[in-house]
Amino acid sequence: MVIVLFAITVMTFLIFFATPGVDPSRQLAGRNPDPATVEAIKHQFGLDRPLPIRYALMMKRLFISRDLVSYGNQALLVVPAIQSAAPVTFSLVFGAAVLWVIGAIAIGLLMVTFKGTFIDPLLMVLALIGISMPVFWLGEVANLITQDRLHDTIFFSWVPPLGYTPFTQNPWQWFLHLIIPWITLSILYIGFYARVLRANLLEVQNEDYVRTAKAKGLSPRNVLVRHMLRTSMITFVSLFGLDFGVLVGGGALLTEVVFGLPGVGQLTYNSLRSLDLPVIMATVIYGAFFITIMSALVDIVYARLDPRIRPA
Amino acid sequence: MKRWFVGSASLLTAVALVAAGCGSSSKSSSSQTTSTSSGAQGGTLMTVANAAPSGSPDPQVNYTLQEWQLLIFTHDGLVAFKRTGGKEGTKLVPDLAESIPKPTNGGKTWTFTIRKGIKFSNGKTLTGADVKATFERLFKIGDSPNAGTWYNVIQGADACLKTPKTCDLSQGITVNGNKVTFKLTTADPEWLDKLAVPFAFILPASTPAKNVNIPPPGTGPYMWAEYAPNKQIKLVRNPYFKEWSVDAQPKGNPDVIIQKFGLTVEAEVTQVENGQADWMFDQPPADRLGELSSSKYASQVHVNPLTSTWYFAFNVNEPPFNNLKARQGVNFATDRAALVKIAGGPKLAVPTCQVLPPNFPGYVPYCPYTKNPGSGKWTAPDLAKAQQLINASGTKGAAVKVNTDTTDTDKALGLYFVGLLNKLGYKATLQALSADIQYPYIQNSKNHVQFAFSDWFQDYPAASDFLNILLGCNSIHPNSNSSPNIAQFCDKGIQAKMDHAGQVGITDPTSANKIWAQVDKEVTDQAPWVAMYNPKYIDFLSSRVKGYLFSPQWYFLLDQASVK
Amino acid sequence: MAEFAFEPGPEVHLAAGESAKEISGRSPWRLAGRRLVRNRLAMASLALFVLIVVVSLLAPFYATHLAKTDPFTSNVTGTTVVDGKEVDVVQEGGSGLGLGEVPIGPTWQWNYMIGADNQGRDVMARVLYGGRASLQIGVASAVICTVIALALALLSGFFRGWTDSVLSRIMDLIWAFPVYLLAISLATVLLTKAGGLQWGPVTINPSSLWVPTWIIAVVYIPYVYRPLRGQVLSVREKEYVEASVSQGASNLRLMFAEILPNVISTAIVLLPLMIATTILTEAALSFLGIGVQAPQASWGTIIDDGQNLLYTRPLVAIVPGIFIVLTVLSLNVLGDGVRDALDPRAKVRVRE
Repeated sequence: MVIVLFAITVMTFLIFFATPGVDPSRQLAGRNPDPATVEAIKHQFGLDRPLPIRYALMMKRLFISRDLVSYGNQALLVVPAIQSAAPVTFSLVFGAAVLWVIGAIAIGLLMVTFKGTFIDPLLMVLALIGISMPVFWLGEVANLITQDRLHDTIFFSWVPPLGYTPFTQNPWQWFLHLIIPWITLSILYIGFYARVLRANLLEVQNEDYVRTAKAKGLSPRNVLVRHMLRTSMITFVSLFGLDFGVLVGGGALLTEVVFGLPGVGQLTYNSLRSLDLPVIMATVIYGAFFITIMSALVDIVYARLDPRIRPA
Repeated sequence: MKRWFVGSASLLTAVALVAAGCGSSSKSSSSQTTSTSSGAQGGTLMTVANAAPSGSPDPQVNYTLQEWQLLIFTHDGLVAFKRTGGKEGTKLVPDLAESIPKPTNGGKTWTFTIRKGIKFSNGKTLTGADVKATFERLFKIGDSPNAGTWYNVIQGADACLKTPKTCDLSQGITVNGNKVTFKLTTADPEWLDKLAVPFAFILPASTPAKNVNIPPPGTGPYMWAEYAPNKQIKLVRNPYFKEWSVDAQPKGNPDVIIQKFGLTVEAEVTQVENGQADWMFDQPPADRLGELSSSKYASQVHVNPLTSTWYFAFNVNEPPFNNLKARQGVNFATDRAALVKIAGGPKLAVPTCQVLPPNFPGYVPYCPYTKNPGSGKWTAPDLAKAQQLINASGTKGAAVKVNTDTTDTDKALGLYFVGLLNKLGYKATLQALSADIQYPYIQNSKNHVQFAFSDWFQDYPAASDFLNILLGCNSIHPNSNSSPNIAQFCDKGIQAKMDHAGQVGITDPTSANKIWAQVDKEVTDQAPWVAMYNPKYIDFLSSRVKGYLFSPQWYFLLDQASVK
Repeated sequence: MAEFAFEPGPEVHLAAGESAKEISGRSPWRLAGRRLVRNRLAMASLALFVLIVVVSLLAPFYATHLAKTDPFTSNVTGTTVVDGKEVDVVQEGGSGLGLGEVPIGPTWQWNYMIGADNQGRDVMARVLYGGRASLQIGVASAVICTVIALALALLSGFFRGWTDSVLSRIMDLIWAFPVYLLAISLATVLLTKAGGLQWGPVTINPSSLWVPTWIIAVVYIPYVYRPLRGQVLSVREKEYVEASVSQGASNLRLMFAEILPNVISTAIVLLPLMIATTILTEAALSFLGIGVQAPQASWGTIIDDGQNLLYTRPLVAIVPGIFIVLTVLSLNVLGDGVRDALDPRAKVRVRE
């Protein structure tokens, strides 16, 4: 895992400095500095030292002395910024994940149960519409409806202004602020997972153990949920590990931006926009960490789902 | 200065920056001419912005309008721009000084008498020593953007530039009780302007000589309580403030002023509409303008002219536009009405052919690049003349990269020119770079940029702020990312005129401005730019805000509005 | 009605000459093909997909002869004729303060059928042109991604041990990689180097569609790899594999003859779903400067343009979205049909 993190940080660093036009010392110097100022800043921030030294300095400031400062605004300390942004992203992603997992399983089961009727294709169309829409568009439309056009109606007057309230401050407000973002984010994934689950369930229904269960006289629901579902979940779980890892690490950037949630995703988005290397680096490391953890977790879960898979 | 919301505007929404000339026909209220501090006191003014001001929060370093708008009521300079709207707002009035002195010694010595009894927000009383320390700190911190270009007129400053850490300006600034005397190396007609901007706002002598993370205590009616770049800025009342000049530093109306970050521009508009925020710093995106024009919100919308010019710069040293005929041809062909449409329509932008914006010192309307020139106003493109000039230039068929940034409006402007240049016989393609990369990129001569988008807003009302900085020979720094003369325009004759105007301006600003007008005309004839338009600025306020004042220098005066 | 579908429903089609009792010894591929052709729904969706492709290819015809507009040149001051009257394509705000400029809405004629965008360009013509870029990049990258991921998953899941470890870590690396940073950086490089980037014999210019295609393909390999690897891990333990092993089958035969057919079903489900994702990712990359350069269009970039018109001209964002949905839908249904056709364990039921 450490190797992966190290490799990623080195690549990020190299890509940044290989970009033409990138000039952090000028960025730090603000608008229209005279050349002498730029030189002074270059020296102050160690930007005139060779690349490996700059890298080492940045890593030291990030991990050891924890005083790494953003290139975009020097009042922004990177590590505390990530620390305060993390709970926001966790809140968003956990809630959305609960919604999309439950939703996808429900819809997948429904599609399989009602295969042959109009419900299956209808659900499929809805599911596919969900994954074909760009999240930024979906979020803006959600805001258009809930904050603007229908804000004063009974349906949406409860929607608070965009932003985030910490759970410890006011749990009810925390919940209200997150409902629409949760739904928006989960719509993107429900369709994908439901389709995949349906396909796997349909494959599995011809397996011997399913026929055995049925022959034993178990109810169809029992067979479906307790026998078929488990082994059909392999794909589901793999995808979940990947998606959840990426989202928790700051991958939900556009969702956070649209809904004004100050999470790691918003930090990532702003840092990319202004090419703010310290923040980019921190968010990349943060994200890579969660991705590698989820990757390991998923392997463990495989073995529990399908006991035939021998542990690595 | 370069516009402030590079980096603060959402990438995916249009930023319709607009400016209106004076005497516009907009139905909303425009600037008022009297200053007032008699609004209802109390309450919290809730403002929103997409992101925190970029750069260091240090008042002697930060160069963004966003932070300047707040610094003016937390700190003071020796003199100030009158805190009111209209033309009155460009006048200088004494602030920390009791009166504006007349300089002696051929304009090189200025003696200010500091008012007594003014206190910083930490309780300490302001003295002359604080003034001297402030200017020394300007050099000591090492990264003040204009230390070496504006404030090097102080005697001893050159030595400070060489060894900043031990800066001692005793040679140039003498303190005698509450009298502070500045000795300059040469007479500077813009010296008072330079004292009235935040770089020269007086800080306590005890302020450490390195960048601070939140502006230090000041003498204004408010003080900085919080500066969290990923959350918000919070200003609260300065308990030690007593109003000494309603013109220079009136006491403010709201008790607390907050600026929250993190919303997209679309969301900001919705929040102000819903009354969840009182004012948005960013410009409303193009698709909300119709909504804002409607009778529901029209009374909350204020449109004001900006002293700013948006332009595309030719690189006069790079083919094909090292050819005067080619440049003039493109200027004749440019349909500025289309560009105005991209900017949001004639109510939000006024076409221009020249460098200086309207109502600016030295501005005389001049537009040669139109059908039937002579009135000074642009009316229509002259394609026939354009084609004639371009054919004569022999540059047809050349490949041109039209450089702009990825912000929607700027990209659209670039696309317009790609189409136009192709129509004129060039082979044009678009080169849209991320906004934070684009501005330094186009300044650096080694990038061989041919035609690039840029804009400029005044630092203070002086013609040289446009003409000398953007088109003067001394503003060209080869192979540097910091070379504001993007066009690389350097004409010895015109430069001599600019220097002459500077000299004359020491004693006779009116005559100087006449010379600046002549410079503007001659530069425009040389066509180093395609000047596009002068934008107007939209302030959208919530329904509860009263007492809107727009200063030509500082724009919306936040602390003069009242929310109760 | 609500019986649980243990028996395949009427969607499984018999090839001509197939009977319920026995499936005679014809090549499984031919049989699958015939089953597919009999599947009316799958054929209908194939037709829909082909229709979308054809319409996109006919974009130049549409723009030149039917709509009579230039979809790529800025046309802010242009005019068009609606109901006999000449109107501005981009109109000044009317009511109240009159701020802003609004492009014309749908005319439901050939000319500006669904209206104009901020630059006064015909959106419908752009959507049709956009189909070429989106389909090309979307389908190509999804296919490349799935093929490579499938191969790697087979290797990884089958051999396990070091192969698996190394590949999985590489996949983690790719998945955690800051693609957007790479995109911005690469776009800047491509845009600013005269004549494009030289990499050995290959010249990459900024508007090449292969750049985003390969970037998107590689970025999503982990996403397809992991589920397939999981399937491989599961399948390799099955009895028929064991049977094959005991018969002395080689690794290659095991992988391709036993494991692959059972894993390919998942791959076929994932492929059309990935196309939705790749088309949308292409929009993001084009926005950052890689791939479709302005003023060229793709469905995704038109949706991006439509973001700024959301409150006034929502159709600009919706119509390309509809095209994306239809493409994804048709490919998904087709994919279902292919899977059903290939399924060796399909139990057939004679239709009444």
